[in-house]
Amino acid sequence: MDSETTTRRRFIVAAVTASGAVASGLNLALLQNASAWASATDDDSTASANVLARMVRLYYPHDNVADDVYVQTVDSILSAAASDPQLQQLLDVAHAALDSAGDHRFAELDAESQLAAMTKVQDEAFFTAIKFQVLARFYAHPEVWKAMNYPGSSVEHGGYVERGFNDIDWLPGGGQ
Amino acid sequence: MSKQFELNDASVVVVIGSGAGGGTVANELSQKGIDVVCLEAGKRLGLSDIVNDPAVMMQKLGWNDTRKGTPIYTCKTVGGTTMRWSGITPRFQAHEFKALSTYGQMPDTTLIDWPFTLEELEPYYDKAEHKMGVTGTHGIPPSAETNNYKLLKAAAKELGYKEYTSTRTAINPVARDGRAACRQIGFCHSGCAIGAKWSTLYTEVPKAESTHHFELRTEAMAVKVNHDDHGAVTGVVYADSDGNLHEQKARAVCIAGNVMETTRLLRNSASNLFPDGLANSSGQLGRNYTRHLMFSTLAIMLGEVNFHRGTRQSGLLFDEQYHVPERGFNGGYLIETVATDPVTVAAIVGGWGESAAEYLANYTKLGGLWVTGEDPPQASNRITFDDTEKDQYGLAVPTLHYSYHANSLAMFEHGKKQCEALLESMGGQKPVTTLDVGGGCHNMGVARMSVNKNDGVTNRWGQTHDVPNLFVTDGSLFSTSAAGNPTLTIVALAIRQAEHIAERMKHREL
Repeated sequence: MDSETTTRRRFIVAAVTASGAVASGLNLALLQNASAWASATDDDSTASANVLARMVRLYYPHDNVADDVYVQTVDSILSAAASDPQLQQLLDVAHAALDSAGDHRFAELDAESQLAAMTKVQDEAFFTAIKFQVLARFYAHPEVWKAMNYPGSSVEHGGYVERGFNDIDWLPGGGQ
Repeated sequence: MSKQFELNDASVVVVIGSGAGGGTVANELSQKGIDVVCLEAGKRLGLSDIVNDPAVMMQKLGWNDTRKGTPIYTCKTVGGTTMRWSGITPRFQAHEFKALSTYGQMPDTTLIDWPFTLEELEPYYDKAEHKMGVTGTHGIPPSAETNNYKLLKAAAKELGYKEYTSTRTAINPVARDGRAACRQIGFCHSGCAIGAKWSTLYTEVPKAESTHHFELRTEAMAVKVNHDDHGAVTGVVYADSDGNLHEQKARAVCIAGNVMETTRLLRNSASNLFPDGLANSSGQLGRNYTRHLMFSTLAIMLGEVNFHRGTRQSGLLFDEQYHVPERGFNGGYLIETVATDPVTVAAIVGGWGESAAEYLANYTKLGGLWVTGEDPPQASNRITFDDTEKDQYGLAVPTLHYSYHANSLAMFEHGKKQCEALLESMGGQKPVTTLDVGGGCHNMGVARMSVNKNDGVTNRWGQTHDVPNLFVTDGSLFSTSAAGNPTLTIVALAIRQAEHIAERMKHREL
């Protein structure tokens, strides 16, 4: 990872964890470089990453999913956008729309006002388009699966023929 | 080592595509001693290439070239969409072969009757079911009842439905025909890692190879069908993996590339004799595109369902498949179980924020239903081409135009109510119904069979009206969509077509 990417990543981590409800999973070691933080705030692309990071958390807030999974989701979208001008444009449109949806720039709003800003733009085409970018990555992450009790690949365990494919036990008459 | 044929061997039948239609017609012909060269655009995978990861398998199996408009989901791999399908194999109903006669002239549709009846296709349905190993037919036991199916069954009983079953699936409940028994792995739509689900990759293709009358050429993308001055086809031009063009001479050609590629290949074969595309004197090529009304209903049930454990689709409910105009629409629909991975569930559930996250946190308690229903053809639902934009083969990029007919939307409203009532009858909370889940997986109609040669591209055998030695062998043939999953009918039609071709050859008419 080059230093610019590292800086951006630190800032994303900060943004993802900005909500008090999820601060417990924060890896403080990632935030120790104060000078990187300061220089990052001047950088447009980092500001944009910050907005996306908050969006991702607000789209799908799971208390039992570690912050790093959200960070990885943002990272993945940003690296896709680096070679996909249409996606980058979507992110820019979202950034601009969210910045003008509240009393202050999106990044400066408190958690409640950020949610209100998201709600305000939820019918815009970019909102759904970015949501699909997020869900395709976030809900494909093994850590998220763990939080949902979804085990993923089963073939290496011999499938479910002996592991509960027909164990439903709460239907009337035992489901017979 | 399977047989190899010379490019200038004009005695072979060239089959384009190796999926349900192409793989089947190729095997059936070679079993009869007829020499076949099968051109497949994709690669040949083995079972060890199959992993339980939908995104990875989408890359390995999917047809991922540039296409515009409404998306469709087809495959570029040996086995075609038989690698991706879930194995559900209902027969069509008698009235569905007579759509125009049964439903009348519906506004804004191009309905026709099929050129034959269910009765005529029944012997071929028998052969197809036997070939594919359809559960509950020909002495094959039913599929095991999964959690999701048990839920559907209990709900169906509660609502007074009568016709529900865990049969009619082309997934082996016991080892059969050289294929393993299902181990309830799931991920059926990403390829079956043990080969329990029927796919031409490990049935029709190797069986054809063992006859020594069959050669499969992979990464061979057909780009043009050539014909002589009399309008008879003479060969197929294809690009190999390096983009080099070759022409395989042919006695007859069967095209089974799914709707997009079948249409594009014929269009790209236009000539002075066929200015609007080969075999397109009717102007119907690429028109009358039809798919099924498809949607999915989820609900959070009282206890664990764990629908990811086991086959993706494990049972059906037939009661709503009939034509009952009192419901406010023509034709009917089938309700089937469906289990989907978290990404797909997130897309189906829709919404965002805490309510969406909470819904998804209940993943293991979700019950899942899915519907496939009849969708009438419309003139405006069609494939067009932009000649200014070419793909890597130098072919014009296709665009699919599709919009729902009012009849399909009325059917959706009815089906949504029934599916939600089913899950609610077992205590399901927060039912969510989403239109278009799976839309673009069942593709039909663009070279449809018609009695009148102005109404379609092919006749009752799938032989083009214009060119006697040119056939279409995929879902493009369907005169109308009917309600049920199409693969069994594609296979039945391919078996029947092979019989017809062999007969014509015997009488030296081909």
